[in-house]
Amino acid sequence: MSESAGPSTPSRKRSRWDTDDNTAESPPPIPIPKRRTKPKPTRSDASHTPERTGTPVQSVQAPSGTPRPRPLHSRYVPPRTAHPPLLPSRSVYCYERLNAIEEGSYGVVFRARDKQTGDIVALKKLKLDEEKHGFPITALREVNALMVCRHENVVGIREVVVGDTLTQVFIVMDFIEHDLKTLLSVMPSPFLQSEVKTLLLQLLSAIAYCHERWILHRDLKTSNLLMNNRGTIKVADFGLARRYGDPVGVGGLTQLVVTLWYRAPEILLGATTYSTAVDMWSVGCIFAELLLNEPLFQAKGEIEMISMIFKLLGPPTSQSWPDFNTLPLAKSITLPTPHPPQLRQKFPYITSAGLDLMSRLLAYDPDDRITADEALKHPYFTESPLPKHPDLFGSFPSAAAGEKRRKPDSPSAPARAADYKLLTEFD
Amino acid sequence: MSTSLYPLASLAQVEKTPSREDGIPEELELDLRAFGCKLIYEAGVLLRQKQVAVATAQILFQRFWYVTSMKQFGIGDIGMGALYLASKLEECPVRMRDLINVYDLLLQRTAHRVKYPPEASAGPEFKYVPMSYVGSTFYDLKDALVVAEMQILKRLGFNVHVVLPYGSLVNYLRLLGLTEREDVSSKAWGYLNDARVSLLQTPVYALYAVPTIVSAAILLATRQLGIALPSSPEACWWELFDADWEDVWSVAGYTMRLYRERSPDDQARLLRLVSKKGIRSWLEENAPTTSKS
Repeated sequence: MSESAGPSTPSRKRSRWDTDDNTAESPPPIPIPKRRTKPKPTRSDASHTPERTGTPVQSVQAPSGTPRPRPLHSRYVPPRTAHPPLLPSRSVYCYERLNAIEEGSYGVVFRARDKQTGDIVALKKLKLDEEKHGFPITALREVNALMVCRHENVVGIREVVVGDTLTQVFIVMDFIEHDLKTLLSVMPSPFLQSEVKTLLLQLLSAIAYCHERWILHRDLKTSNLLMNNRGTIKVADFGLARRYGDPVGVGGLTQLVVTLWYRAPEILLGATTYSTAVDMWSVGCIFAELLLNEPLFQAKGEIEMISMIFKLLGPPTSQSWPDFNTLPLAKSITLPTPHPPQLRQKFPYITSAGLDLMSRLLAYDPDDRITADEALKHPYFTESPLPKHPDLFGSFPSAAAGEKRRKPDSPSAPARAADYKLLTEFD
Repeated sequence: MSTSLYPLASLAQVEKTPSREDGIPEELELDLRAFGCKLIYEAGVLLRQKQVAVATAQILFQRFWYVTSMKQFGIGDIGMGALYLASKLEECPVRMRDLINVYDLLLQRTAHRVKYPPEASAGPEFKYVPMSYVGSTFYDLKDALVVAEMQILKRLGFNVHVVLPYGSLVNYLRLLGLTEREDVSSKAWGYLNDARVSLLQTPVYALYAVPTIVSAAILLATRQLGIALPSSPEACWWELFDADWEDVWSVAGYTMRLYRERSPDDQARLLRLVSKKGIRSWLEENAPTTSKS
């Protein structure tokens, strides 16, 4: 949820893994029947001793006239009934395919309709054909990351369905009308400052949520940010996401992550132990792109990318990046002559608070780069103009849903009058 | 911070597991579950795999048998698939070849013990014969592994979220002021995952929330060491951890049943039922005449 702009009108749809948020507060944990679930064995109440009962304790509590009130469940230990049951994957034939949205290296995305509920969803088919190592670990990470990061501004995963053979697996997600990249290119005018703030707040709160749950996204860019017609963006495509922690795991982290234009300098220079700061750099690039209406660094290769960064921000110094020289590829780079950052020249119209946020997102030293939590509290978001409420955003025809820009409606015959005529004629 | 909840078996799944629907007695199913988990544990040790991956594998293995019958898949194959999958989930993947070699060894040893029961002590010592480089053993096991991994994912609806009990145990012991007693910590830790007897070899992780399981481990450890904890109706220590006494007691009961001595016959029977083929022929031999066609 965005911090100061307020949430947009609820558009939450239930997925079968959704748990009811309010069960912790309401003492009798009666599972609310979900629309979608198949007829399920009823679970009557929270006391559920399987098989071996017959412990004497039951009689200790039972006899007194006033039954001891069941202790309220702690927020951290919800009743057993709140846990989702073990349910096998449903078949992809529960959905009716509508149209293809896009095809990437990871697989194809379709728009589809849930035959039971009529909900429109996005089906992402995973490519599993030439797998030598069983189910791909990247796909596992994607499914897990999406399930762990359930957030207003993260695209919602509904379930994973399977086709006829073991190589057909689809991730079912909420269908979102736009992606920010396409939207930026077709919008008649760029986003206003107030709108940029709202979008950035939403993005930051999603990233903060993921980082809190030990998930790195590792591919943040405008084409992976979806946006609905209610002014809400959703982070999507967790295909490169992974859990991070200490220790990082076998073999460290790969440098083959993040689309080049959004890739942080430490990855470019070969670091194997990067962390949440790589996502924050991408956020900085996205922030700049929203202001400029075009990507900040449009480099063709890694060397060009590094020199573009150095040109905009000035080459790193021992102050701005103390650990620079310890990076594997630092020796192979010749630094240009020192010069101050050119950010002000690049963004002449932004306030000084905005520029400060930008320079902290694009800080060289990963340890010094602002975190998502800190960024959410940055003064940029509390100065005028304030973030715009999501409901006040305009809506656009969705290319993914096959909609076209509507022509202005021509006036049609007065429908009411016709109805009235029908009524009176039959009287 | 609200964490996403891990799945637990539903009441109907607990009351009548798919294996029992197929005529496998409850006792036998529980023994087979425990044996499958022991194989996972031993494979994990031989592979020097991280403990978290081994524990995750055992939990996924236990969950699987609430949605699938042992007549359809063998405990050996599914255990292997669960360990492979869990290693990926815990970001410490193992090589397929290594895992297959280890399971081949474990299965050969099991077969050896069927042939020469340890009680007889007359048979030759077990000697592992590595699989032939050109034979089909590797490819058979590899196919079984890939299918098992995929089936676990599919039948659990890709919800492979697992929460392990170790962090909670440390916090609970701290809260109870038991951190000074190293014997309590190590006993309770042992009940959570020990080679011979552990809660990971029972279905409890698919049945109860983590706080209940950790409370049971503490209950067993403190009772064994004769340590009294507040247990009068007004102040029961397990209520601190949102556990119900009946549930804690039931979890403890699952552990205790692992200690029961099995007759040599029962043990021999177990070893023969590692594969679904074994289960199927056992079901045919023991088919009750009353069963519906």
